[in-house]
Amino acid sequence: MTPEQFSADCESHRGYLTRVAQLQLRDRDAAEDAVQETLLAALTAHASFSGKSTLKTWLTGILKHKIVDAIRRRQREPIAMASFEEEIDLDDFDALFKRNGGWDTPPADWGDPEAALDRHEFFDIVDFCLEKLPANTGRVFMMREVMELETDEICKELRITANNLWVILYRARVSLRLCLEQNWFAASAAAR
Amino acid sequence: MLRRLIGHLLSCKDASRVISRMQDEDLSALRRWMLRMHLRACDGCTRFKAQLAFVREAMQRYRS
Repeated sequence: MTPEQFSADCESHRGYLTRVAQLQLRDRDAAEDAVQETLLAALTAHASFSGKSTLKTWLTGILKHKIVDAIRRRQREPIAMASFEEEIDLDDFDALFKRNGGWDTPPADWGDPEAALDRHEFFDIVDFCLEKLPANTGRVFMMREVMELETDEICKELRITANNLWVILYRARVSLRLCLEQNWFAASAAAR
Repeated sequence: MLRRLIGHLLSCKDASRVISRMQDEDLSALRRWMLRMHLRACDGCTRFKAQLAFVREAMQRYRS
């Protein structure tokens, strides 16, 4: 593969990389810088791309480091737990359960969810649901599930406790699950 | 009767938190047992567990 072809292939992922960086950094300029650095690094490291993973996965790996660098370069302000608390009231989640701890509305039957993974419209809904997450909650979730950082890495980066992290991830997952149910799986069920 | 009692050791609310946490760390044998007992008696939480696993899979697909 020529450098030009490789460069073009990398470039084709710019939109996706920018979306991921944007969700992480919440700053358009910083996101574009991180993506630009990623694409430059990719071209330099062309020889080390073995093709074992997809190009998109490989680029995401590079992006992860650039995002972590960008977070470190920023003013080193630990994110106060208060800002997470403000984003989602714990009461909102208690409302999902009855007083006795049982589900108020149990999770619905999603049928065959795997089928959704072949539909690009499904990933549009995933984008929509990720955007709906409050800023810091979404950022933490992306660090864990897309950047695949370990929990202690995230805690160190954001200066939060492990317990804080589990609560935030719980909120993110519960919100996301509900959003996907309401906007994809329940809609599909109605069509069945 | 006994199974129902054992199922009640963990509420669905607590079970949902355990299920989420299992995605990030290994839990004690006791916790895992309590969750297994709860899941045997609870379709809602059984679905919740499968759906959370699916969400993780979807995110893996999202980035690749």
